Amino acid sequence: MNKSWLLRRIFSSLAVLAAVLVLNFLLFRIMPGDAVSTIIDPNFSPEAKNRLRALYGLDRPLIEQFFIYIKQMLTFRFGLSFLSRKPVWDELMSRLPGTLALMSSSMLLSSVIGIWLGVKASLNRGRWIERMVLRAGAVTASFPGFFVQLVLLMLLARTFPLFPLRGSMSIPQPAGTSAIIFDYIWHMTLPVITLTLMGFGGWALYVRNLMVRTMGEDFVLMARARGLTERQVVYGHAFRTILPPIITIMLMSVPGLVSGAVITESVFSLNGVGTFLLAAVSGHDYPSAGAAFYLLALITVICNFLADVAYGIVDPRVRIEAGNK
Amino acid sequence: MNIKMFLGRRSIIAFIFICLTGILGPVLIEGNPQDTAGAPFAYPIWWNSRNLPASADFAFNEKGCGFEWSKLPPAVFSLMGTIHADPKANVKIIWRTPRRKYILASLTGQSVYWLNLDGRDMIFKQFLGLPLIGKSVDFLFPSKGRYSLEIDGAKYADLKLSLPGQRHGLLGTDQRGRDVFVLLVYGIRTSLIVGISATVIASFLGMGFGLAAGYIGGWTDTLIMRAVDVLLSIPTLPILMVLAGIWGKGLWQIVLILSIFSWMGTSRSVRSLILTVRESPWIEGLKALGAKRSYILWRHLVPETAPILLANIALGVPGAILSEAGLAFLGLSDPRLISWGRMLHEAHSFGAFTEGAWWLLLPPGLGIVLLCLIFMDIGRYLEEQIDPRLGGGGRDA
Repeated sequence: MNKSWLLRRIFSSLAVLAAVLVLNFLLFRIMPGDAVSTIIDPNFSPEAKNRLRALYGLDRPLIEQFFIYIKQMLTFRFGLSFLSRKPVWDELMSRLPGTLALMSSSMLLSSVIGIWLGVKASLNRGRWIERMVLRAGAVTASFPGFFVQLVLLMLLARTFPLFPLRGSMSIPQPAGTSAIIFDYIWHMTLPVITLTLMGFGGWALYVRNLMVRTMGEDFVLMARARGLTERQVVYGHAFRTILPPIITIMLMSVPGLVSGAVITESVFSLNGVGTFLLAAVSGHDYPSAGAAFYLLALITVICNFLADVAYGIVDPRVRIEAGNK
Repeated sequence: MNIKMFLGRRSIIAFIFICLTGILGPVLIEGNPQDTAGAPFAYPIWWNSRNLPASADFAFNEKGCGFEWSKLPPAVFSLMGTIHADPKANVKIIWRTPRRKYILASLTGQSVYWLNLDGRDMIFKQFLGLPLIGKSVDFLFPSKGRYSLEIDGAKYADLKLSLPGQRHGLLGTDQRGRDVFVLLVYGIRTSLIVGISATVIASFLGMGFGLAAGYIGGWTDTLIMRAVDVLLSIPTLPILMVLAGIWGKGLWQIVLILSIFSWMGTSRSVRSLILTVRESPWIEGLKALGAKRSYILWRHLVPETAPILLANIALGVPGAILSEAGLAFLGLSDPRLISWGRMLHEAHSFGAFTEGAWWLLLPPGLGIVLLCLIFMDIGRYLEEQIDPRLGGGGRDA
């Protein structure tokens, strides 16, 4: 792959990361009082208060605090949680796999189903499948995701108890590895299905629009004129040209996906970074809240970067254009 | 724009109707929406109500009274009032069910007694000899038949037996016994205020930045557009959660937080419009005539962006409403402020699921969906008016 193009991508990802770091630093400094005011008891002696401030480095000048903070964030030393008194890093790492599993599986499912439906819709203009795709795309945009999840939760976990009402594991945990895996999948089914349900409509609509436009282009006509089979025309020629924009939309959907995962974890009481962030925010546990926000933003930045790289691989024009410069 | 066609659109009619309900409802509904109106988790009156009793109150004097009961037990058994008696006399309040009789209270030594008995009270249950865990109403109302309350040895009594039923109002009650329909009507206001004002502020911010980026160009442009890119690639909900957590959860704080993080789209479209308009011949002409930059900006460029701004506001409101509902659903809103998101939060956190109380879930959720669909439709209509090529959405993209 072209080197300068890759460097530019890396640089722009680092710019976003820097913005996130500054934002995260400022957010917790502009609030009334300071971060330890919630754990300071009014009855503490002034010495105790000062020692606590010094412990969290709040007695130093703001600039010095900023550099210490940057160092901590880049080395992932987030300090101790106010609530659990355990290292925030350990707490986050125990929850990260669950969140990543939820996000990646629902993204995979919704993009595969959405792309497949979108292509099918574009090949069946005016039939029921196209009408369904158009409607699904419009409806899912105006439905609050958590409302759909709540309704499905009530329907499928309360009225027809097929799925568990809450949690990402049964309590007590079942014995045996296969039983644990099965139990986990059983708990994750409804969250993943509902997230997929909310996501595939937009994908299908987008892919359908792209495909409709592409199928009308001359090179498709040319491919047909050369006597290729319809399958080759659609998947070998037309679909390949819409891969780069598909990757763009994947890139743009990551922030929304993170937001969706946060709220989904709350609805289903899953043990993840989102619920951790919520507990930290409502419990005024600032080290944890800052670290969780940083981690979620970091996931987004990394995903964006990967999507950029993938874009370069799929679209040769990017490489050539960058190479010419 | 055709005013008559505009007003005839279904979404506009629905919007006006909802606005009127949101403004007039709280005025017409008497009492505080936070007040307890019935038993917790009471069903709507029209739902599955054959065997469920409605709320009933009975007033008693010193003679006591009896009544027929033909339904399932009420939700709560509570007896309140005053009894005057001779201090030496022993006053007994007897509750006679078809199965057996209970002595609800045995009082002596005072001339006036204030009574406040509640069937959910542990001490009262213990006094009656009922199991402490479980509903006392199942024992106090064991079957159909004649029930009576007798008061022995009182000179004068003024008692009220309140039996809040498991049916209440158009949409039942929530976990605190508040009327869900009243809450729903009050919630309209919050959603509309937050949705519209956050979007209006965000749109003006977006217009300002878009104009600056497009018209000034150069470094300003680069800076603003980079900021837009960065803000668009940060997940919004976590940052909104953190801000709501630290800044506060009041109505206007939420509005401010939402508008700070939703101006990016508008600024992009305003900028691209300005870029095309800036190079057009009539702006060239104005410049040649010696028009000042500020004159061109205010008299020609700003009005040019107005239609886009209008459509952007209408299309942006659903996003703001959904964000507000999401924050409130996560519990990051003022608990005293009634909003649809807050109602969903309370339904989720306080046992509506174990009760199967769908009436706490569907009305606020469907309300949010309806408002969003209405604004989407208005926005799409405005967009079509601005750019007729967009007409008929479903055709070629």
